[in-house]
Amino acid sequence: MMSAHDQNPASHTERNDESTTHFGFQTVDKHEKESKVANVFHSVAQQYDIMNDLMSFGIHRLWKRFTIDASGVRPGNKVLDLAGGTGDLTAKFSQLVGREGKVILADINSSMLNVGRDKLRDKGLVQNIEYVQANAQYLPFEDNTFDVITIAFGLRNVTDKDMALRSMYRVLKPGGRLLVLEFSKPEHELVNKAYDFYSFNILPKMGEIVAKDGDSYQYLAESIRMHPDQETLKSMMEQAGFEQTSFKNLTGGVVALHKGYKF
Amino acid sequence: MQKVLGEPLLFAQALSAALETLINQLLRYNMQGTRALRPLSGKTLTVQLTELNMPLSFTISHEKVHVTSSDEHYHCCIRTSVSTLLAFNKNQQLTDLIKNDQLDIQGDLKVAQRFAEIAQTLDIDWQSEIAKRIGDMPTYQLGRVGRSLREKINFARTQIQADASEWLVHEQRLLVTAGELAYFSRDVEQVTAKLHALQQRLDALNK
Ligand SMILES: C[S@@+](CC[C@H](N)C(=O)[O-])C[C@H]1O[C@@H](n2cnc3c(N)ncnc32)[C@H](O)[C@@H]1O
Repeated sequence: MMSAHDQNPASHTERNDESTTHFGFQTVDKHEKESKVANVFHSVAQQYDIMNDLMSFGIHRLWKRFTIDASGVRPGNKVLDLAGGTGDLTAKFSQLVGREGKVILADINSSMLNVGRDKLRDKGLVQNIEYVQANAQYLPFEDNTFDVITIAFGLRNVTDKDMALRSMYRVLKPGGRLLVLEFSKPEHELVNKAYDFYSFNILPKMGEIVAKDGDSYQYLAESIRMHPDQETLKSMMEQAGFEQTSFKNLTGGVVALHKGYKF
Repeated sequence: MQKVLGEPLLFAQALSAALETLINQLLRYNMQGTRALRPLSGKTLTVQLTELNMPLSFTISHEKVHVTSSDEHYHCCIRTSVSTLLAFNKNQQLTDLIKNDQLDIQGDLKVAQRFAEIAQTLDIDWQSEIAKRIGDMPTYQLGRVGRSLREKINFARTQIQADASEWLVHEQRLLVTAGELAYFSRDVEQVTAKLHALQQRLDALNK
């Protein structure tokens, strides 16, 4: 198994070669990445929620709450929960925007969308939610549609992140904000080491035992390491047109929430 | 690079999650509760507590109370202390508190009054409920994150208990101290003894 320390951050590599990208630590053709990512999420969809709780000791719920708190969402707003998967953020947004508002749960993966739809229906959340199967790079919405866009633990799976950010910018209303919640670079070397050990040794084992799918969780761990660090992502957002960009590190930088506005 | 802001901020999220669960549980036990929320649907009350360095917002939707830590958008915002707020549902009026400078309100006062009415009709002992439950939040106890969170929760809990009980005993005199209780029961015993003696004398006269 490769160690995370043998790798350079992915931030620049995607731009090195037009036709290849990363799938975890492997370099693959761009179109190949999409189908590999699809397989990962088809395979983990059913166990996704329970694995999230297990892998993060439940802390992902607080990271998501932090995102909601930073969204400034209010009744009547139109929200896009992109790469929304099983709909944790959608559930909360749907209740906060009320009857006059709308939330669109968009994901490229039909299995994740189905699990999300069932879960939200079970919670009695039906009125103001729409489900759209879509690729973040090619959002099928009109310009200036949304007050808030969130993408939680989704961007690192997207093949062309710059293109996806431009697409989000286009569909955001002037005055609207984008929130990117994503794994990032821990600030302290010690945390980094512990986190590496956890990600590459414990996490895939947990995936193997609970979800019977070690490979997918190996990919998740690798994709986290290949994701751009805080400053790189911030400048990518600026490149896409976002203004007043900022980020907050959560849990020592294991996760960061990036925020940017369109004016 | 930016300083680590994460952990103190996640304390706000942990507290709002705990409060949200607690409040909705209590509302569910009390059928009158969820119906009482209807007129407030879509409304947000924000509370800034002097003891806690963060806002707490309560939004009513789907007959539930959603707690967030944000003050970007509200219909009414209250600035006050935990002790004032916890003691509030005993027998005070909002306007009294405002007059006494114990509370500052911005926005629609009616929203605050409706929220207060709901808290009062529920007739819940908020002080002990909150103190009791904040302490035993189940998760997030692992590692450094968990420990620091735990310390902060304990601090908040002691603070809440100390402030609230001090206010109740010394300012509103709703509770009695152990000494006062001893005096009282001695008085009661004396009266009982006197009554007993009186009864015997009456009995003797009637013979
Ligand atoms: C780790 S899950 C996150 C789900 C949810 N947002 C959460 O925080 O629990 C990542 C999601 O991104 C979706 N995804 C991957 N590539 C995508 C793309 N190009 N466009 C839209 N969604 C994508 C996956 O299908 C998956 O549901």
